[in-house]
Amino acid sequence: MSEDVFADATQVAGTGEVMIELEGVDKFFDDFQALRDINLRIGRQEVVVVIGPSGSGKSTMIRCINRLEEHDAGRIVVDGTTLSDDIRNIQEIRRETGMVFQQFNLFPHLTVLDNITLAPRKVRKLPKAEADQLGRDLLEQVKIPEQAEKFPGQLSGGQQQRVAIARSLAMRPKVMLFDEPTSALDPEMINEVLETMKDLATEGMTMIVVTHEMGFAREVADRVVFMADGQIVEVGTPEHFFTDPSEPRTQEFLSQIL
Amino acid sequence: MTAPATPRRSATAWARHHLFRTVGDSVLTVVATVILGYVVYRFANFVLVTGRWEIVRANLSLFMVGLYDRDELWRPALALIVAGALGGLVAGVVHRRQSDAGAIDEVAPAERLRDLASRLWPAIIGVLTLLMLAQTITPWLIVGATLVAAVVMRLVGRLLPRRALGPVVTLVLVTPFVMVWLMAQGTGWDEWGGLTLNLFLAALSIVLCFPLGVLLALGRRAKLPLIRAVSTGYIELFRGVPLIVLLFMVNNTLQFFVPDRFAPSSVVRAIVVFTLFTAAYVAEIVRGGLQSVPRGQVEAGQALGMSPVRITVLIVLPQALRNVIPALVGQFISLFKDTTLAGAAMGFLELLRTAEAVTSFPDFSGQGLIAETLVFVTFVFWVGSYTMSRESQRLEKKLGVGTR
Repeated sequence: MSEDVFADATQVAGTGEVMIELEGVDKFFDDFQALRDINLRIGRQEVVVVIGPSGSGKSTMIRCINRLEEHDAGRIVVDGTTLSDDIRNIQEIRRETGMVFQQFNLFPHLTVLDNITLAPRKVRKLPKAEADQLGRDLLEQVKIPEQAEKFPGQLSGGQQQRVAIARSLAMRPKVMLFDEPTSALDPEMINEVLETMKDLATEGMTMIVVTHEMGFAREVADRVVFMADGQIVEVGTPEHFFTDPSEPRTQEFLSQIL
Repeated sequence: MTAPATPRRSATAWARHHLFRTVGDSVLTVVATVILGYVVYRFANFVLVTGRWEIVRANLSLFMVGLYDRDELWRPALALIVAGALGGLVAGVVHRRQSDAGAIDEVAPAERLRDLASRLWPAIIGVLTLLMLAQTITPWLIVGATLVAAVVMRLVGRLLPRRALGPVVTLVLVTPFVMVWLMAQGTGWDEWGGLTLNLFLAALSIVLCFPLGVLLALGRRAKLPLIRAVSTGYIELFRGVPLIVLLFMVNNTLQFFVPDRFAPSSVVRAIVVFTLFTAAYVAEIVRGGLQSVPRGQVEAGQALGMSPVRITVLIVLPQALRNVIPALVGQFISLFKDTTLAGAAMGFLELLRTAEAVTSFPDFSGQGLIAETLVFVTFVFWVGSYTMSRESQRLEKKLGVGTR
């Protein structure tokens, strides 16, 4: 990682307070190195969009932050807590970080409301009535209050992803990780999900978003991170990024997709 | 009314198309019809005309309860009525919960009866047949009382408030054991026989083998190598041995391993064998179910900060078990039928051996009536197995297998 990129990657926007810190993170899948010396800081209330070709390590990087993947070297700090091998510590960090998956991963055997209230009730020990109220408020927030009693299978993809967002929010996370949240959606449903995410950003949620939606990146991101071959190639504001990218690899990628 | 999209063909046209399209088809149709007709005729003739069913009639109580003390028969009768009451209670509570969730439409009582008849017709035919064979009024009264208890408790169940769920579950779990205890007070379970014994062996073994099987399935997927090795070893050991060999072993060779003083009674031995044996199969079925739950489900639970145990119990297992209901029930049906092996290997006077034994009773010996008793036993097992099978299909539909 060059010094310029390092400076861009560790200079946070938002309130200026560091929320997430990755320091020299490496990750291997057997012989394949998925992440190489990742250094990145994300500020409180900052929205960082991660883009890059497939296989570049974007998903792996955010999955390391809540330990869905175990990193092999380096340090990851979430809101002052360093990620360790201790399962309690891991669960602590997972409670503070919400994650939204490409495939939604809603629980098909539970109603929409139960999907949302399961973790607050079982992990946060919220009484049922309180959890239900929280769940309905969140469904209101993602604009599908009328779907509370249905099962995930009865909802459209866009609605399911909004339920998944509500489910993550129910744990009152300090950070939200989005792993290609619109990639499995039909085109006409992408916007409703992006709108929900914009609302979240406006309310000051700290967000890391892996996506191919360049419009979203341009409009909402404080900083854009470009990754290729497991490395952070370039970090910058959307203006810098989409009008005047400095790295040849970035220019090549943007010329292919824009 | 709109006209059907395809006009109905006449019966002749249908037959020509499906049965007599070519010369070969026609020959096959005729030959098959003749053979089938002959078999059905012979069987119907046997059941309705030549069969001497008095051997079943005279020994019906032996088929049902074996050598249970005839002065204490109120105990199994009471157990049956209580079972009906419990079934009704559960049905009522389930109905209430579903209608609260808006999952079912209220239907007229007549339609409900028709639904029930089309759902339980094998069981209804079975019970009616048994009642027809009965020589006294008492069985009618017992069945009647059971039905009344079921209907009354169903109404009670529908009226119970939501918070009564806990006590109801406790009641459902505890009552069967109380009933077994009550029955054992009349005649010790080592003396039980007939259908009662088959049902008792099957029911208790099912209840015991299910949790054991689930634990073994989880164990086989555990991270700790020791747990994995023990589970795998257990499963492969028991799947590699014929059930009847195990039954023979506990019957004949247990004294080599366990001092007589500590050796359990033969019914307990049989239940232990059935439980251990079936648990191995249940474990493999459940393992298949666990593998059918996508990895993303676990990750979603992890991302919410849930512990591995909670993820397994609340997220993975419910989906895994739902996916394997048909295979599980199939295994339980096998177990129910395999209880006849306990008669063969351990000498219990269960249903099948009763069928054999009664043919040598003074009134019937040497008259070749084994066909009658075997057909009767076959029928009883078929009713039980087919009812279980149908109920499992219904459960499957209700839980929405195949809808994700």
